[in-house]
Amino acid sequence: MNSAPQSPLHALTRRHFFSRCGLGLGSIALASLMDRPQLLGATAGSASHPLAPKATHFPARAKNVIYLFMAGGPSQLDLFDHKPRLNALNGQPIPDSYLEGKRFAFMDSSFKNKSTLLGSKRAFRQHGESGMWVSELFPHTAGIVDDVTFIRTVATNVFNHAPAKLFMNTGSSQFGRPSMGAWVTYGIGSAADNLPGFVVLQSGPRGPRGGAVNWGSGFLPTSYQGVPLRGQGEPILNLTTPEGISDERQHRAIAAVKDLNLQRLVETGDPEIATRIAAYEMAYRMQTSAPEAMDLAGESDATLKLYGIEKDKPSFARNCLLARRLIERGVRFVQLYHTNWDSHGGPGENLENDFEKVCHQVDQGQAALVKDLKSRGLLDDTLVIWGGEFGRTPMGESREKTGRNHHIEATTMWLAGGGVKSGYILGETDELGFSPVADRVHVHDLHATILHLLGLDHKRLTFRFQGRDFRLTDVHGELVTKLMS
Amino acid sequence: MMLLASLGAWSAFGADYLREVKPLLTEHCVTCHGSEQAKGGLRLDTAAHALKGGDGGSSVVPGRATESVLVQVLEDRHGEISRMPYKKPPLTAEQIARIRTWIDAGAPAPADEVPGRKVHWAFVAPKRTEVPATGIQKPERGNPIDAFIRARLGREGIVPSPEADRVTLLRRVHLDLTGLPPTPAQVDAFLADSRPDAYERVVEDLLASPHHGERWARWWLDVARYADSNGYSIDAPRSIWPWRDWVIGAFNTDKPFDEFVIEQLAGDLLPNATLAQRIATGFHRNTQINEEGGIDPEQFRIESVIDRVNTTGTAFLGLTVGCAQCHDHKFDPLSQREYFQLYAFFNQQDEPNLELPTPEQQTARDAHAAKVKELEAQLAALKDSTEDGTEKRQAELKRELERVRRNRPRVHSTMVLAERQAPRECYVFIKGDFTRRGADVSPTTPAVLPAFGVRRQDGALASPAEASRRESAETPRSQSGGMPPQSKTAPNRLDLARWLVDPANPLTARVTVNRVWQQYFGRGLVETENDFGTQGSPPTHPELLDWLACEFVEPSADAPVASANSQGWSLKRLHRLIVTSATYRQSSKARPDLAEKDPTNKLLARQNRLRLDAEIVRDVALAASGRLNPAIGGPSVFPPQPDGVMSLGQSNREWKASAGGDRFRRGLYSFFWRATPHPALAVFDAPDAFSACTRRLRSNTPLQALTLLNDAAFVEHADALAQRIQAEAPETQRLDFGFRLCTGRPPQPAERERLRRLLDEETREGDRAKAWQTFARVLLNLDETITRE
Repeated sequence: MNSAPQSPLHALTRRHFFSRCGLGLGSIALASLMDRPQLLGATAGSASHPLAPKATHFPARAKNVIYLFMAGGPSQLDLFDHKPRLNALNGQPIPDSYLEGKRFAFMDSSFKNKSTLLGSKRAFRQHGESGMWVSELFPHTAGIVDDVTFIRTVATNVFNHAPAKLFMNTGSSQFGRPSMGAWVTYGIGSAADNLPGFVVLQSGPRGPRGGAVNWGSGFLPTSYQGVPLRGQGEPILNLTTPEGISDERQHRAIAAVKDLNLQRLVETGDPEIATRIAAYEMAYRMQTSAPEAMDLAGESDATLKLYGIEKDKPSFARNCLLARRLIERGVRFVQLYHTNWDSHGGPGENLENDFEKVCHQVDQGQAALVKDLKSRGLLDDTLVIWGGEFGRTPMGESREKTGRNHHIEATTMWLAGGGVKSGYILGETDELGFSPVADRVHVHDLHATILHLLGLDHKRLTFRFQGRDFRLTDVHGELVTKLMS
Repeated sequence: MMLLASLGAWSAFGADYLREVKPLLTEHCVTCHGSEQAKGGLRLDTAAHALKGGDGGSSVVPGRATESVLVQVLEDRHGEISRMPYKKPPLTAEQIARIRTWIDAGAPAPADEVPGRKVHWAFVAPKRTEVPATGIQKPERGNPIDAFIRARLGREGIVPSPEADRVTLLRRVHLDLTGLPPTPAQVDAFLADSRPDAYERVVEDLLASPHHGERWARWWLDVARYADSNGYSIDAPRSIWPWRDWVIGAFNTDKPFDEFVIEQLAGDLLPNATLAQRIATGFHRNTQINEEGGIDPEQFRIESVIDRVNTTGTAFLGLTVGCAQCHDHKFDPLSQREYFQLYAFFNQQDEPNLELPTPEQQTARDAHAAKVKELEAQLAALKDSTEDGTEKRQAELKRELERVRRNRPRVHSTMVLAERQAPRECYVFIKGDFTRRGADVSPTTPAVLPAFGVRRQDGALASPAEASRRESAETPRSQSGGMPPQSKTAPNRLDLARWLVDPANPLTARVTVNRVWQQYFGRGLVETENDFGTQGSPPTHPELLDWLACEFVEPSADAPVASANSQGWSLKRLHRLIVTSATYRQSSKARPDLAEKDPTNKLLARQNRLRLDAEIVRDVALAASGRLNPAIGGPSVFPPQPDGVMSLGQSNREWKASAGGDRFRRGLYSFFWRATPHPALAVFDAPDAFSACTRRLRSNTPLQALTLLNDAAFVEHADALAQRIQAEAPETQRLDFGFRLCTGRPPQPAERERLRRLLDEETREGDRAKAWQTFARVLLNLDETITRE
């Protein structure tokens, strides 16, 4: 892997540039070369496009990722992890044996008023051939269980929102590490030459906690960071030609910049200028392609109906459809954030009507995405990931209304598509849903497995920073082979 | 130890056992023949042991290398003993020759030699190396940097590049020393100045410019992870810009770097600490603060202490000490226990705010205090009153008093460190987990580096260098050199700070000169500027690195750039030394002959083209457009940014664009939210301020193109530039004038031709003013405009 921006890859390109082009090459010849992107790709290509597709470590099972991030931590006990015994013990204090040595958010209050168990008020039913339990809050999702692998035993390390989100995205609760999407685009590049390789879409009342670091590139070059696309208005910051400047004028300006940069390239022989010329060309293409990708006008009514999209209204469902469109256009990694799943029981975050509302906001869209990908033959190549930064406790929390606290021992996530089993249920928690009793899957294991499905060895996908080779999985991570198809 | 290969250059200077022989023995022999195991009874970890020999007798016969067993086994011509090192690659002929030279010279060695352990080059204090006499043919200006660089180039058979043309050189040195491009008038003046020292005069002017402090402050702000917000998810605003201004001032006044370090780490502990010295401690208040609900505050206090330890390691020692937080360092001689001994220095602080009222703010405060006093007096006067309505009046007064108290006038403040009265316990965290208590520790420095000196009679710790000189009394060179508090017993932050800048410390000076070098050439002499440990890359020019480090700490009397300022640790002196070297002044044009020999230009047969830092991309546009507000310092400002940026954070904070002059301040004054940095900064790789950044990436992306093309701020700069061009130059000169404002130079004929074509096309389309606007946009988008050539 290429390590630093000035490193072997760069050197190679530079050598290549000289051996092929030489400095004696006239500007006209060079100009004609640069006018043909396919040739540019063949010569100065790797330097020009840090996102150019790269060889994987081994054959990939999935080429794209759509990650549905449920920001705030959905309650697995009210959606997927059905626990009749917990319901039976509703209101009883939790046995001490469960709490020993465990740490929770809001620790002071959690220990002062020792929590009692909270059964789920939601009706559960088994669905599909897999017989997966899904609660009444996810009627659409219940319809795709046979296309999905559920993991009921995902464990993490961190119990506060921002650090836990970082941990789920970067494998570390410290700020400054690259996110999974950045690692993936760094590892395999992107198939899009007119859109960013890693795109982020958001829905819900506010941004996810921690903000842009969740899709940051950390110490990796910024080419790999997630680019937030906005569902309304300008999809990318500064994408639109400034007001009062016609497309013709914009094009003339860009053409002049290119010609002058070319002359400078010939004068100095610095391949960075070739990269910059390519960057301007891609920027210009993005000005057309990004609005096109974000425009749903070409989608049929049937499709809009499948997702439950209301015209011109931003929503999670809309973002799901946009995710499919972006994948179709070669974007490698699309991450959707939906807030707010926090359910302590306080205002706006209780397990009663607030939870119902947020479930309703995502249910149809996420199910439609899987169905739509499948019907278009995209699901084989696309890995869909669903989950939050942690789960919720079997104990209740009483603020204004009922809720549950953050819980790191076990939660449910689901995967669908490229390389994972269909209709499979992995892992089991104890009778209260507190801890895994079989097949615990730690976040690092999940990361290792996701990279594996994309053809990347998590131990070999490294980047040297501050004197150390860093990985998404740090020094951890075991492949979860059971869920691979 | 790849360094050893390059040590070969030194063999010409004689047989220095400690520098040339001992490292070889330590590297290749001591593992089997040392204190831990002495195979065959032989130890080679001191010269005395080598002379004494092992079971088979002496291994070294002074004066007779050929007869010495040591040489025989290295050369594989001993009848019985296998070739050494056993089952490892043999030493090179050059290495063996070094050992031979030493033995033939009588195997001299110091009497009080400490047994060698395998010591990494960077853990041995730099020694002043001799400036090579060969390799340069009468340098026009005898700068030792060039002697070192050219000696190496000469060995490789490479010729250096010619000096850059004068405009390029002037723009380069302006951008490097002040972060601002030269004006056309400055270019003209320089071109017209035929005095032989015209360039040196410019350098002096630039070093004296107040903008020099701004330029280099940003360099230090990166290391210090400076930001204007608290980070984590809430990311509330904070006020610590007075510390940023302190840094600018320190660089402008050329505060010696040792004082610079001491005041930032422990200014509060200096005797009679001044306000400025307390402000300086903001360096380690640039840690994040987590204000999220439900957190364990102690956990995040500890996170900030850990950040301070790691940042100290990165900033001054160039070591990845953070690796030892959870376990002994895998590669460097740093144990987890030693990590927590460093941690103990930083675990004893409170984190107060220091109020810094301006005179006006103080007046308002005084008036407020008087008002409070007056109300309290009125209230007191009513205490024993029995008049009717007293109660009502009392209630009114109380309400009024509360209201006034709540509205205490706000004053400027900054975040500082203060030593705590009641010390905290310090212990190792097992596996780095603060909930798992390990062994108790007390503050001290890692064993691989020089120890604190012996405690003197006055109770202060002697510095390592001082201890080795065995001087009896300290002679403070400056105010910062004062004594630490008398009463303490354990070393504290002040001792640590002094230890960092003690000449015996092998790392701080090297790390610092290397990072300064990196700013000028895009890469340090040690490429891994943040890892001088065993996993780092060896220096490309070890002798030059050590010469620079020694020259930085203690300038030689006959220094080539002697000036009024001959004090130690002078950064301005170091800047001057580098930018006046021929190496720095070379052309940056690529050379086909180097493509094979030195494709990444490590040997510096030419300069490197460097894309400007994010802030300076902005500054150059502001300077070209004539809108730059040159004011220095003060609270951070809010230049316009696209809508919707702030909503990407958890809290949708307001970004109200500054009006008036604050709209056009230099990039380093833009308010920096950690969670939602200004996009024009982030897109050009400004660091995220989460941890120390010792080298910025230089990415080259489509989003940068979109920023320069379409961002409202850059459109605004282009409009101003277009207006300026039309206002300040007659029609026939406008094209050249605009080009010079952005690149410093006039366009070449082909460039002029292309731009004229653009103007013609645009004029056909609309009015001439719009054509100049497009012209200005093109100029601000040129690669050359945002590049230091």
